[in-house]
Amino acid sequence: MTDMAIQITGLVKQYGEKTALEQLTLSVPRGEIFGLLGHNGAGKTTAVNILTTLLPPSSGTASVAGRDIQTQPAEVRRVIGYLPENVQFYDNLTLHENLMFFAQLSGVQHPAARIRVVLDIVDFPGHERERMGTFSKGMRQRAGIAQAILHEPEVLFLDEPTSGLDPQGVATLRNIIIRLNRELGVTVFMNTHLLGEVTRTCTSIGILSAGELIYQDSIAATMNSFPGQDSLEEIYLSIAAGTPS
Amino acid sequence: MAEVGVLCRKELKDLSRSRAIAMLLVFLSAVILLSVLVAAADYRVKLAEYTAYADALKAAGGSPTPPPNLFPLQMLRAGIEYLEIVGGLFAVILGYGLVAKEKGSNTLQLLFTRPLGRHAFAGGKILATVIVWLVVVVALFAVIALAVLLAGRAQLGGQDFLRLAIAAAHTWVYFIMWSLLALTLASLTRQPASGLVLALVLWLVIVLVIPQIGDTMDPDNQIPGGFFASLQIDRTNEKALLTHFASYETGRDFVEQTSATKQYERAVFAYLGVKSQYNQMPLGAVWDATSHNSLWLLGTSVFTVAAAFLSTTRETLLRKLP
Repeated sequence: MTDMAIQITGLVKQYGEKTALEQLTLSVPRGEIFGLLGHNGAGKTTAVNILTTLLPPSSGTASVAGRDIQTQPAEVRRVIGYLPENVQFYDNLTLHENLMFFAQLSGVQHPAARIRVVLDIVDFPGHERERMGTFSKGMRQRAGIAQAILHEPEVLFLDEPTSGLDPQGVATLRNIIIRLNRELGVTVFMNTHLLGEVTRTCTSIGILSAGELIYQDSIAATMNSFPGQDSLEEIYLSIAAGTPS
Repeated sequence: MAEVGVLCRKELKDLSRSRAIAMLLVFLSAVILLSVLVAAADYRVKLAEYTAYADALKAAGGSPTPPPNLFPLQMLRAGIEYLEIVGGLFAVILGYGLVAKEKGSNTLQLLFTRPLGRHAFAGGKILATVIVWLVVVVALFAVIALAVLLAGRAQLGGQDFLRLAIAAAHTWVYFIMWSLLALTLASLTRQPASGLVLALVLWLVIVLVIPQIGDTMDPDNQIPGGFFASLQIDRTNEKALLTHFASYETGRDFVEQTSATKQYERAVFAYLGVKSQYNQMPLGAVWDATSHNSLWLLGTSVFTVAAAFLSTTRETLLRKLP
């Protein structure tokens, strides 16, 4: 078993004339909570879409939990969990029915028991019989995390998981992500704009600019490397200012 | 294969709880029921007129002429027209929703990061469409049969129920065709709404424009009440006269036959005896006369099933995400 949860080498993604990712090379060790930062349009979502096998790369290679995304896409899908930004689920179905649906599609052996376990992990009991159309954004995100970990994935991809949540919702989700990482050993790869949350949640970061990785290090090393800067936001802005956006 | 069943069950559950779909189906049932009730009232008036005439004649010592041909299934003419027009439109909306909802709510990304087979998504959607229309059509025709029996006070025999079942089967195939056409177009367009507009344009052309052109080209439709009737030309002479315009009639027929709606209407009207030339004709003879209509309708539906199957693959859907 490789020590790297994610290994990307020379990844390129082009949409016609436009280059979304330019020779992206990046490694994320197992057990990390990795935050991928960057301006809008920097290529963060494209990178996640390629790693989750939703998009084919134009060139380059990438593997997730030791499985190649191009030659073993079905294997990759078995070991990843994914929560896209602004996912709505099926509003006419209850939380339990939504989770049962995704559990069955993922081949979970005892889905009903597993649903109870994941709802306990995301601290979300008592809503199983409610239709998801009645859920708030925060409740949907918790349900989203629950569906993403139903099949016990090795790597969890989260696209802007705290976007649009109130401070209470952000704190709850942060605690869930940290718990998944520390207690269950899940590697987390998340895109986010909320730099304050990155400091509290992530163990390492990478910064993308115009499709290129311009910085990667652990949070602790990053904070120590920029002694004049008080916050990750200032560090991010100073790093990003050194490159064309 | 198990994934297809899981996807299909989810879809059926979702549709069965959709308020919008329920409202559309209630509306469709109501207009069809209303049309049958109106036709039934007209049927009862004709029956009463004949009974009164027969009673009066008997009282005067005469013997009445045989009763007029009152065929209860002819009451379904307007109902079938509603099914082909309004039902077709609802089928388009249902098919569009099957893909548009997934695209709009980002659930496609959730589905396609699961280890699904290449055609599992398509299989689940198509199977759900087939089942949902089967249930709806059976329910609609049960309502229709009850309305004819109760409101029309008609006597329906085994043959009549068989004719109704054949009409229901055609309606089922017709609805599947429209739903899967809309599903295909919603899958192939980046914005599902563009697919809906395309499907509605096709609906307009196939359901309304082409049949209207065919009707306008029909010489008998040039005068209200019928061109030949106004000249007191009977059916035999009408046919003899039309042989002189065979090329024109073939052209007109060709235009009509490009419409799947017209194929559906011709077959169903024949089985129900709405068109007088097929009334009381044995089922085998109706099949001989209209099998090409049924087969064209079936062929068109099979084509839309294939199109839906090929267009709702993971690659196409992800490439066409908004």
